[in-house]
Amino acid sequence: MRSKINVGKILDTTITYLILLAVAFVFFFPCLWLILASFSRSGSIYSFDGFFPAQYSTASFVKLFTDTTMYNYPKWFMNTLLIAAGSCALGTFLTILTAYTMSRFQFTMRKPMMKTTMVLGMFPSFMGMTVVYLLMTQFGLINHLGGLILIYASGAPMGYLTQKGFFDTIPRSIDEAAKIDGATNFQIFTKINLPLSKPIIVYTALTSFTWPWSDFILPKLLLKEKNLYTVAVGLMSLDETEFARFAAGSVFIAVPIVILYFCLVKNMVNGISEGAVKG
Amino acid sequence: MKRKSITLLMAICLCIGGQTGCGKEAENVQTAPDVQTQEETGVINTVFNGELEHNVTIQVLENDTAVSKGYFASLIEAFNEKYAEYGIVAVDANMNQYLDLANDGPYGYGPDVLYQANDIIMQYAEGKHIYPLPVETMECFDQIPETAWAAYQIQLGETAYTCGVPVNVQAPMLYYRKDLLPEDWEQVWDENGNKIPDMAENWNAMYAYSVSRHEEDGSKYGYMKSLFDVYFSSGFLFTYGGYVFGNNNTDPSDIGFSAGEAEKGAWVLSQLASAMNEECIDDSITTNAYSKLADGTYFATITTPDMYSTFLDEMISAYEEEGLSEADASAKAQENLVMTTLPKLPESGDLTEEGNFLDAKSMGGINGYAISAYTKYPNACLAFVEFATSYEMMVNRSALLGVAPARNDAAETAGGTSQLLYDNLEAGNIVLMPSIKEVSQIWTPGETFFTDLAKDAFRSEGEKKYTDLEAMKKGLEAVDQQIYDAIFTLK
Amino acid sequence: MKEKWNKFTSAVCDSSWKVKLSAVVMGGGQLLYGSYFKGIIYFLLEIGIIIYMILRGVEDIRGFFTLGTQKGDAWLGIVGDNSVIMLLMGIFAWVVVAAFLYLYQLNIKDAYQMQKAFEAGKRPLSFKEELAQLLDKKFYITVLTLPVLGVCVFNILPIVFMILIAFTNYGGDIVPPELVDWVGIANFEKLITLSQFAPTFFKILGWNLLWAVVSTVLNYFLGLGLALLLDKECVKGKALWRAFPILAYAIPGFITLLAFKFMFSYGGPINQIITASGHLAVGFLDLDAKWMARGIGVLVNCWISVPSIMLLATGHLSNRDMSLYEASRIDGAGRWKQFQKLTMPFMLFATTPVLLSQFIGNFNNFGIFYFLRGGLYVDGYFLASDTDLLINWLYNLSIDNNYYCIGAAISLVIFMITSFISLIIYVKSPSYREEDTFQ
Repeated sequence: MRSKINVGKILDTTITYLILLAVAFVFFFPCLWLILASFSRSGSIYSFDGFFPAQYSTASFVKLFTDTTMYNYPKWFMNTLLIAAGSCALGTFLTILTAYTMSRFQFTMRKPMMKTTMVLGMFPSFMGMTVVYLLMTQFGLINHLGGLILIYASGAPMGYLTQKGFFDTIPRSIDEAAKIDGATNFQIFTKINLPLSKPIIVYTALTSFTWPWSDFILPKLLLKEKNLYTVAVGLMSLDETEFARFAAGSVFIAVPIVILYFCLVKNMVNGISEGAVKG
Repeated sequence: MKRKSITLLMAICLCIGGQTGCGKEAENVQTAPDVQTQEETGVINTVFNGELEHNVTIQVLENDTAVSKGYFASLIEAFNEKYAEYGIVAVDANMNQYLDLANDGPYGYGPDVLYQANDIIMQYAEGKHIYPLPVETMECFDQIPETAWAAYQIQLGETAYTCGVPVNVQAPMLYYRKDLLPEDWEQVWDENGNKIPDMAENWNAMYAYSVSRHEEDGSKYGYMKSLFDVYFSSGFLFTYGGYVFGNNNTDPSDIGFSAGEAEKGAWVLSQLASAMNEECIDDSITTNAYSKLADGTYFATITTPDMYSTFLDEMISAYEEEGLSEADASAKAQENLVMTTLPKLPESGDLTEEGNFLDAKSMGGINGYAISAYTKYPNACLAFVEFATSYEMMVNRSALLGVAPARNDAAETAGGTSQLLYDNLEAGNIVLMPSIKEVSQIWTPGETFFTDLAKDAFRSEGEKKYTDLEAMKKGLEAVDQQIYDAIFTLK
Repeated sequence: MKEKWNKFTSAVCDSSWKVKLSAVVMGGGQLLYGSYFKGIIYFLLEIGIIIYMILRGVEDIRGFFTLGTQKGDAWLGIVGDNSVIMLLMGIFAWVVVAAFLYLYQLNIKDAYQMQKAFEAGKRPLSFKEELAQLLDKKFYITVLTLPVLGVCVFNILPIVFMILIAFTNYGGDIVPPELVDWVGIANFEKLITLSQFAPTFFKILGWNLLWAVVSTVLNYFLGLGLALLLDKECVKGKALWRAFPILAYAIPGFITLLAFKFMFSYGGPINQIITASGHLAVGFLDLDAKWMARGIGVLVNCWISVPSIMLLATGHLSNRDMSLYEASRIDGAGRWKQFQKLTMPFMLFATTPVLLSQFIGNFNNFGIFYFLRGGLYVDGYFLASDTDLLINWLYNLSIDNNYYCIGAAISLVIFMITSFISLIIYVKSPSYREEDTFQ
C-alpha cells in the first residue's frame, strides 16, 4: 500500500487543494480589501493605488478606540457583545431543547406545531416590526439591552427545524437501551443525546451569536440612545467621510466571531461517527 | 393537569406584569370641537406662560457636525452657566440626528428640543408632535427674513402657527480651487474684469474650462458632480421654470419637474455630464469629491456649505503630503479652497452659445430648532431656543461650522458666502424643500431620470435616448407621472 | 360527533356534586378531593383573571371594537386614545379570555378524572408526583413552555396584529394621534385596482421565482460541496481552510452588501482596474445592467449564504453512519455513487426544512437588491426596477408611503400563496412524513 504511488490520489489531492485555494481567495478577497482599507492612511476610499492604499497607518484603529466623543465604538462593542452572548446562551438552550423535544416526543400538538412554525417563518418580517416596537414600549423595554436579548432568544426557537433534522438522524435505539436501564427522559437528554449533538450545538451557538451581532433593524428600532447602540447601528451612523473608520469597525466586528469559531471548531466534527454506539 | 395551569399562570403573570407600565386610559375630558378651536388659539399662551420650570434637565438634539466640531458643547456650557440660578441644565440628547419624533415622542423617548431641517420639522407639525412657538415675542424675530419664517408656518383652521426657529440656510454651493485655475485666468477667463473667474460666474465658462482641462490631461477633470443627486440636480430644472409641487409646494397632485422649460435644465446637465467620466452615473463622485478635489483631479464640484470643513481637512492633508508644514498647509488650503454661490445659467440652455444669463435657482432648506410637544418643560426649552438663536451664538455657529446664518445681523458679521446665501434666500433663488410628507416619493423617479441622463452621455451615438429637448421633456414628464403614481396609487 | 356528544352528556349526568362545584368555582372539586395545591392554583387563576377583566379586560375588548373615541392633541394636553395600542391590548384581552375558557374546561375535566379515580378506588396522583412527571413522561411540556410563550409574544402576536391591520385604515395620514377605524375588506378591494399593473406583477413574480430557485439551489449545493470537500481525508488544516468562509460569515450582511456595491460602482476598484488597463468602464449595477445586475445579485447572495450552509452541512455530515460507506466501498461503489445513494438522501432528509426556509428567505430577500441597486424605477415596470423582488415592490408601494394597511393586505396575500405552496412541499417531504428513516 505505502510503496505504491497512487497517481490518481495525488491528482485528486492537487485538484482539491486548487479548488480550496480558489474558494479561500473568493471569500478572502473582499475581506482583504476591507482590511487594507482600514489601514489606509487617508480616511477616503479613493486614495488607493489600484487595489492597495497609497499609504498605510494604524491611525483609524487608534481613532476607533480612543476618539469616543462622537462615536463610542468600545461601548458599542461591549453592548453588542453583551446582547450577542446573552441571546446566544439563551437562544441555543431554547432551540436545542425545542428541537430535541419535537424530534423525540409524540404528542397531539406536535404535527400542527411543526406546520405552524414552518408557515410562520414566511411572513415578511419587516411587517411585524411596528408591533414589536409597540410591544416593547408597553413593556418599557425601549433603550434596554435586555429587551433585545429577550426578542432574539424568543425568536431563536423558530428555527428549530434545522436542529430537529439533526436529532432525527441520531438512532433512537440508543434512547431505548438507556430507558431499559431506567434512565428518565431528562437523563437521556443530558447524558446521551447532548454529547452526541455537539456539532449542531456549535452550529446553533454560532448562528444565534451571529444574528444579533450583525442585525441592524431591531437595535435601530429599539435603542435610541447613542451609548446603547450596537456596532451595526453605530457604524451605519458614521459620517460618509469616515470611511477608514467604517472599514476598521467592520473588520473588528468580525474578530469575536472568528475567535468563537476557533474555540468551537474542535466540537464540530466529532459526532456519531466516532461515537460510542453504532446502529 | 397541573403542569398546564402552571404554564398559563406564568404566561399571565408575565403579560400582566409587563402591562402595568401603561396605565393611561381615556380619562380625558370630551371637548366639543368648537371649543377646541378657541383653545387652540390660546395654546401658545397656555403652554408658554413664561414661568420657567426650575431644576429641570432638558435634552437637546443637535446635528452631528455641530457636536463633532465642539460647537454644541460650548453652546450648552454657555446656556447652563446663564441659567444656573434656575437650575436648568441642557444636555446632549445623544440620539441619532435623524430620529423620528413622531414615532418616539408619544412614548416618551424623544428629545425636548431638536434641530432638524424645515421639511422634517413641518411634517411633525402636521401631526402636532411639536409645539407652535410665540415667535413674535422672540428677540430674533425681526432679524430673520419672512421667507425663512414662512418655511415653518402651518395653517390650521383660521390661524397660522409658526413651529420652528430658523437657524441656518442650506443650499448647494460651488467649491473650486483657485490654484488649479489656468495661469492666465485674469486675462483669459475674466471677461468683466471683476477678479472673479468666469467659471464661478457662469456655467458656460465652467463647461468650456472643464472640456479644455480634460483635453489637456486625460486624467484631469473640471466640474464634477454625480448627476443622480436630485437635491443638487433639480436646481437646474427650477431655473427654467420647473418646480416640485404646485401651490407653493403644498399641492402634491400638481408635480412640476417638467413644468415651464425645465428640459433646458436637463440639457445643461447632459452637456456638463459629457465633460465628466462615467463616475457621474452613480454616486461615486459624491463620495470621492473630497479627496479628488484635494489631489487636484477635479477642479470644482457642488455640495452643501456644511461640508466646507471636510474639504478643507482633505486639502490640508494633501498639502502636508507635498511637504508643507501644518500651519503653511492650513493657510494655503484656506487661501485656495473657494466656496461660493452657484454660477449663472444661459437663458437658451446651450452652454456653448453666448447670450443672456439667468440666476441659478437651487433646492435648499432651512435648518432650525423646534420644541417637542411631549416635553414637560416647554418654558425652559423656549429659553434654550432663545439663547441658541441669539446673535452671539449664531455668529459662533457660523464661524465654527461654516454654515450660513438665517439671522440678518449674524450673516452680515459672518460676511462672504453667508451674506451671499442670505441674499439668495431673500431673492427667492433658494427653493425650499417641500414640507409635506409626499416629498419622500420624488427621490427615486428623479434619481432614475438623472442617472439615465448621465448614462446617455456615454452611450454610443445610435443608442442615445435624449438627443433633443423634446425627448428630455418627455423624460421629465415620465418622472412627474411616476411621482404621481407613487403618491396616489394606493391613497 | 354524535358519539362525543353522548359521552359528554353522560359525563354531565355521571359527575358528582364535587365536580359540579368545579364548574362554578374553579378548583373547588380538586380541593374537596384532597388535591389542595391544584385546587388553590385553579382558584387563584380564576380570581386573577376576574380581577384583570374588571380592571381593564372589558375596557380593552371594547377598545378592540371602537379603536378609540377620543383623538389625542398634544397641543391641548389631551392624551387621547392610541388606536394601535388599543388594538394590541384588545388582542391580548382576547387571548386572556381564550386562556380562561381553556383553563375552565381543563379544570372540569381534571375534577371529573379525579372522581373516576376515586370511584375506581385509586389514589389520585399527588402534586409532587405530577411535578415529577414533568421531568419524564411530560418532559415536552416543561421544555416547550418557554419557547412557545416567546414565539407567541414576539412572532405570532405581530402576525395576528398585521393581519388585523389589513382590515383597518391604519397608515398614510391616519397614524396616532389620529384614530384608526375598521374598514372591512376595503383594502383588498383596492388591491384589485392594482390589477391594471398586472404586467409588472407577473414580470416581477417570474424573476422572483427564478431568483429564489437559482439562489437556493446554488447556495445549497455550493455549501454542501464545500463541506464535502473540506471533509476529505487528504485535506490538512481543515480548521484553517474553513476559517475563510467563516470570515465572510462574520461580517454583517449589510456591510458586505455596501462593500460589494462600492466594488462594482463606477469609481470602485474593479472599474479602476478596467479603466487603468485602457478599457471602458463597465456599469455593473447601473440602469441598463439588467442581467448583469441580476447575476451579481445571485453571486453576492452566494457569498453571503454559502458559509452558513457549509457550517450546517459540516455538522450534519459528521453524523453520517460511516459503516454504510465502508460497506458500499466493499461493494465497489465509486465516490459519485456514494454521493448519489448515501450522502444526498441523508442530507436531503436532514435539511429539507433548511432548504425550504432558504427558499422562502431568498424569495423574501429584501436587503440584497435594496442595498445593491436601490433607488431605480425602470421603464416597463410600474414603480419598480428589473431587479426588484416582490417584497421590494411591496416596500415601494406601501411602506415607503407609510400605507401600513395596504402593505399588510399585500403581504397577507403573498403570505398565503407562499405558505400554501411550501406547506404542501413540506408535508410531502420525507423529513416530515418519515421522520424515523435514519433512526
